[in-house]
Amino acid sequence: MNVEKMLLKCEFEQWLYDEAQLLDDIEFDDWFDLMHSSLRYQMPVRVNKEGVERPDYSTDMFTFNDDIELLKLRVDRLKTDYAWAEIPPSRTRRFVSNVRVKDYVEGEKAVVKSYLLIYRSRSTDIQHDLISGERNDEFIFEEGKWKLSKRIFIVDQSTINTRNLAIFV
Amino acid sequence: MHYDVKLGRERKSMLKTEKSLEEMSKQQVVNYLNETVKPEEGVIPAYLLGDPKVYDIEHEKVFLKTWVFIGHDSEVPNKGDFMTRELAGYSLIITRDAEGEIRAFYNMCTHRGMKLCRADKGNKSLFTCPYHGFNFKNTGELVGVPLQKDIYGGNLDRSEMGLHKVKLESYKGLLFGTWNEDAEPLEEFLGDIKWYLDILVGRAEMEVIGVPQRFVVNSNWKVGSDNFVGDSYHTMVTHGSIAKLGMVPNATYSKRGFQIHTDNGHGLNLGTPNPDFAFPEELKDEFKTNLSEEQYGVLSNLKNMIGNVFPNLSFLISHTKIKDRFISNTSIRMWRPIGHNKMEVIAWMLVEKNASQDWKDRSRDSFILTFSPSGIFEQDDTEVFTDITEAAQGPMPFLKNLTYNYTMGLHREPVDFIGPGVAYDDKFTEASQRNFYKYWLELMTK
Repeated sequence: MNVEKMLLKCEFEQWLYDEAQLLDDIEFDDWFDLMHSSLRYQMPVRVNKEGVERPDYSTDMFTFNDDIELLKLRVDRLKTDYAWAEIPPSRTRRFVSNVRVKDYVEGEKAVVKSYLLIYRSRSTDIQHDLISGERNDEFIFEEGKWKLSKRIFIVDQSTINTRNLAIFV
Repeated sequence: MHYDVKLGRERKSMLKTEKSLEEMSKQQVVNYLNETVKPEEGVIPAYLLGDPKVYDIEHEKVFLKTWVFIGHDSEVPNKGDFMTRELAGYSLIITRDAEGEIRAFYNMCTHRGMKLCRADKGNKSLFTCPYHGFNFKNTGELVGVPLQKDIYGGNLDRSEMGLHKVKLESYKGLLFGTWNEDAEPLEEFLGDIKWYLDILVGRAEMEVIGVPQRFVVNSNWKVGSDNFVGDSYHTMVTHGSIAKLGMVPNATYSKRGFQIHTDNGHGLNLGTPNPDFAFPEELKDEFKTNLSEEQYGVLSNLKNMIGNVFPNLSFLISHTKIKDRFISNTSIRMWRPIGHNKMEVIAWMLVEKNASQDWKDRSRDSFILTFSPSGIFEQDDTEVFTDITEAAQGPMPFLKNLTYNYTMGLHREPVDFIGPGVAYDDKFTEASQRNFYKYWLELMTK
């Protein structure tokens, strides 16, 4: 890996760390500002397949399948007084690792893969939930910033072991 | 209400044994259920949601006895397709053979008991056991045993060693299984709820989109069934955010319509009227062909339909405004018990096979947005389910005789309705919940 590639990796690592902090700090409006208007935010349902048959996730059923408008709706909903699922908000900690820049056109677009581990603690419950998976992200460079235009989150469980996904992945 | 609570307490102190539920024999628990569960008076004790012993008896007397949902026939559309599901905690393989017949088998090799198939779904006609390589056809026959002649000396009767077949029947594509060989025919068990299931899944040729959503909630399964069988009252508050976003008309719209219950604990809430037609317009002819005139009348005016087939198959038609356009989605969900305080929610989304791709996509996305682990309705429900279950755990709710109040609408008389069952002329009553627990108690104490 040359210095140029290392800097590039570092740049997107930083983007993902900043994003993680906004989500963990419940700064949903600022998080939403990181999204591109052409966003596709997707989390397919994982399936147990025989042997090495791939893909091992559904191509037509998702746990999230939002465009920018639907994601906005979720963010707005969390700000009403009735979004009980997150009253009080979960304490979350997002750990991002294994960042790899797969494709990159300077000042235009990028494809980045990374691993994500979310620790979630609700209220006084001493049990925590862990959500683990791989993010396949695409970025578009706009007005001097990288905006997320596509995220496919491949979760590592076929039965998700958390009461809901009132949090973002 | 004060009377009931008081009477309950007095009675309780009279029959209070020295024993905790844990120390009681099974028969004593059953007797105790008979004394303390009073659905017709609207009194349901909290320990029903938190006691492991009640849960064990439920497994034996409810889930091993009744018909339980296992899937939809469109999930195995082609010859050779299979899927694995659970029936009362036991894994099943559901296959479609070369003639198109659907069968269900216990997912266990008959030689040494190994789980035969470990995938959720696929297509194959032969299942090979990972332990010794016994081979079973998708019709259940044992067709191959490695080195058979050599090691069994020609004395192994393969015809006696087919997979254990599970009793399976279907209604309008809904597949149900039961471990009870003496179970009444499925259609008898469903009874009058069939009339409404026709509207749900018999209105057109329906197909499951993709695979079901699955997630685990720390909730007793009955909280889910109770919620869907008749509780529209909670939508004003629990789902208040949806009205605030303008996706449904206003916070009290959920009262309008009918509540209906039928024999064997089934029930539903029908939301009407609806100025808009909630289903694909171009399929009106198909709907008319599949439904009676009365059923089509209900369908044309339907705003939503929320119900439960006893014990744990809930269903939903939901009509919401998303991106300034109305769209409906149809789903069924099973509250699969994992423990007294834990369940797996399995949610299938169904759509008219002949609907346009645009309708299918919008309908699916409305399902994901509203009812799925990320669904903005569902996520608030699961928060409530979890906390109700937690509050019912341990010996205290039993010791203190904590009960829930199910008396809403006890004063009301049923009305005439175009469909079968006992109907009330709005959705805010708890008659369906009382009917659910009445049948539950009947099975538990049989």
